Amino acid sequence: VSGGPPPLPPVRVERALGLMPELEALAPLRALLVSISRPDERAQWSSSGPYLTLGKRGVYPDELRRHLPQVLHRVAEHVQVLSKAYVEALEAQQRNDAAGVVAALLRGGGLEEQVGRLAQAAAWYDLALGVAEALQDRRPEVEALRAVGYLCLRRGQRADGARHFQRALALAEAEFDQAGAIAACEGLGDAVFAQGDWAGSYAWYNRGLRLAEQADDAAQIGRLERRLGVLARNQGDLAGAGEYLRRARERFESRGPADEMARVLSAQGQLDAELGRHAAAAAAYREALAWAQRAPGDPGLELSVRLHLAELDLSAGALLDAEAELRRAEQVAIAGNLPDRLAQIYTLMGTLRGAQQDETGFVFFEQAVELARAVEHSPAAEAQVYHAYGLFRHRLGAHEEARAYLERARELFDALGEAVERARVDAELRALSA
Amino acid sequence: MTPPVRTNSVPHVAVPRPDATVRLRILVVEGESEGGGGTDVLHHVGQWAEDTRLDVEAAPDLPRAVRQLAGRRWDIVLAVLGERPDDDLSWWIDTLRAANGTPRLIAAAKAPSMGLVLRAQKLGVLDVLSLPLRREELVRALERLRNAATETAIPLPEVAHHAVGQYALVGQSPAMLDVYKLIAQVAASTATVLIQGESGTGKEVVARAIHVHGPKASGAFVAVNCAAIPENLLESELFGHEKGAFTGAVTRKVGRFEHAAGGTLFLDEIADMSLALQAKILRAVQEREIERVGGTDTIPIDVRLIAATNRDLKDAIKQGRFREDLYYRLAVVTIRLPTLAERGDDLLLLTAFFVRQFAERYGKRIGAISDRALDMLRGHAWVGNVRELRNVMERGVIVATDDVLRADHLPEELRGEAATRIDRPEGGLLTLAELEARHIASVLAHTQGQIGAAADILGIHRNTLTRKMKEYGL
Repeated sequence: VSGGPPPLPPVRVERALGLMPELEALAPLRALLVSISRPDERAQWSSSGPYLTLGKRGVYPDELRRHLPQVLHRVAEHVQVLSKAYVEALEAQQRNDAAGVVAALLRGGGLEEQVGRLAQAAAWYDLALGVAEALQDRRPEVEALRAVGYLCLRRGQRADGARHFQRALALAEAEFDQAGAIAACEGLGDAVFAQGDWAGSYAWYNRGLRLAEQADDAAQIGRLERRLGVLARNQGDLAGAGEYLRRARERFESRGPADEMARVLSAQGQLDAELGRHAAAAAAYREALAWAQRAPGDPGLELSVRLHLAELDLSAGALLDAEAELRRAEQVAIAGNLPDRLAQIYTLMGTLRGAQQDETGFVFFEQAVELARAVEHSPAAEAQVYHAYGLFRHRLGAHEEARAYLERARELFDALGEAVERARVDAELRALSA
Repeated sequence: MTPPVRTNSVPHVAVPRPDATVRLRILVVEGESEGGGGTDVLHHVGQWAEDTRLDVEAAPDLPRAVRQLAGRRWDIVLAVLGERPDDDLSWWIDTLRAANGTPRLIAAAKAPSMGLVLRAQKLGVLDVLSLPLRREELVRALERLRNAATETAIPLPEVAHHAVGQYALVGQSPAMLDVYKLIAQVAASTATVLIQGESGTGKEVVARAIHVHGPKASGAFVAVNCAAIPENLLESELFGHEKGAFTGAVTRKVGRFEHAAGGTLFLDEIADMSLALQAKILRAVQEREIERVGGTDTIPIDVRLIAATNRDLKDAIKQGRFREDLYYRLAVVTIRLPTLAERGDDLLLLTAFFVRQFAERYGKRIGAISDRALDMLRGHAWVGNVRELRNVMERGVIVATDDVLRADHLPEELRGEAATRIDRPEGGLLTLAELEARHIASVLAHTQGQIGAAADILGIHRNTLTRKMKEYGL
């Protein structure tokens, strides 16, 4: 096309975000800005193209303006469903149905969680818990404790999460609430798994599984079998892991929810990868993506599978495929409003550049550190980035810097009480000294 | 410069012409959405299978389709798109990229929009058919695939190239000969050089060639991509920093200027540098000394500077985004690199060079390219120039299964372009609406989706453009 004025260049995301005050009210606008940002097509083939990160993507004010009604509609919709949950709580209060009040408040918290507003979700859950604690029927309290427990895990507060699940289990058992007890065992297993306590995690999952089998709850059995499979793989029992996953797969294949099937296949892919069966792993991941496609609404699930695929390609030395997969994962994270996952994606991208002996790959780690601090607010994520950054520097022969980054990772893991991760970093530091 | 090196000759590969009447294996995947009409599709294709020479199998849903795709080779996947056809199309393109034998996609949708058709073409989809399926439309798509199968192999020519470390200068076009002469003239001195050229034209390779043939060849060649590095880190990357100079300065760092001591510092994409940093570069060039960030010592530097850009620096000076004094310091000698389009038949030489290079890397033996694949390469716009061609060749070599690089081994985008060029004469002339939709789509691509700018170019009001975009599903 010739003629006409040359189009104005887009504004870089790093500059655009720098012009937006850090106000909670502007969070939807911030999310919209990130989700519509695109890599500058002129940069696609430039030598800086392979190093493109979120900050260097471009956004057009015109396009932002065009999408504004959409975001305003979404905000209004969210406020509307929250208000509806509150009105339902009021109606329950009016008819003296305290359990109904708790359920409605938990619904409000769940809606906040869905859009990533974790602090707001905590406010709803705390209210629900306060109401539930005064009830004679303890089942609403079990529900509330479970919601708070999972929220704690999402926020990286594992010990707090475990404490809430422990209380939920005690109450559920006292009330003969089997479903509540199963769910609490699952939560406890998740909490101690995240803390690296494999034996403890096994005990909780196994207890949950026995209860679920007694209750003949197929969905819970499948979920716990998948978790036991993942745990067994982490413990090095690959045959046991295969058996658990096979059972979970059989259970979900005919009638299970698509997202659970995707998770089972994703775990199967990780197991196949560990067994060196690359083709089988790739096939499992591809099928997991197909199941995830049937269960839309959870871009995080698709993203996780794509990251596993990228790791598989990376370990097989298929660097072009790994890069393409990471770029797809980046697009899913950006379009699906999951900027907190970008730190993980850029860390892997940096590792990939390290495998190519490409020094400029450090830009990915720098961006990942920034995202872990500013978007994710997660010292655990920051520590993971520093760990990988240290290994990257080591690979490129910058041993002094490698040591400094690994020590920073150790410091952060220490503060978080992450013994397993700290031990891994310690091992790297010892290897560096040797 | 040393004389060009001739690569080993590859034996002439005789390739039998594929049989155009061969039966095609087709996997029909019905839509999962309610009322998707998938059952009708399978029913119809089953009915037409014999006279259209198809071996038909069906997959009841997406996960099983993925399993069937992994299990054996397929020529075609006929997929019914659901209620979100654009998303479904992207999903299929991604899935088939990893499938056994890279089958071609025929997408079927209820009342497909013009936007969907254009997008599908761009992605290399064989055809988009509307539901309910019509036999003649399916037959036309199959004919297109069968015609495409009749490709003739052309042996790849021998290539004389000039090795520059792990890189190479390839080409015999007059435009490149001028570049070689300039490299030879400038290499012997230590003069600062500015290399200008579009993205992917080989600016870094030329910089390396100047370095290895210059007086500082025994020193290091240090490249810095100024656009890749965040603004706040670029200064310390170039000049280094002392420990604790800023948050994150965990150790003392030696900068790239110091790393390049006695050698060459290549500053790529220099136009992306902030004005403040440009001032510091100017000082380093003028004074031949630098200071680390947070340091007080002055460090003398002995480096040859080569800068490169894909922008028009004079234009940037006019807009106040680049310092004029720095421009004149850098542009002591300017080398302008031609685009791939300006290099004529260098395209074939570069293709042959990259195919051999990657065939060696991936342990393959490819000695020829098909006539159709070559036509596609010649018809492509190559906005990414040699870098884009290299990328396409690497992908092609990875997916190639025999000793000929065929059209099917090229990316969907190139195949889509070829389909657009080739198919219309067979399918008849474009309607006015099709022509308008295509033009609007191309203008929007040019303005990168900016409606205001697109409306200005098209000479219509933005509301009219918005209405047309909606009408055509763009």
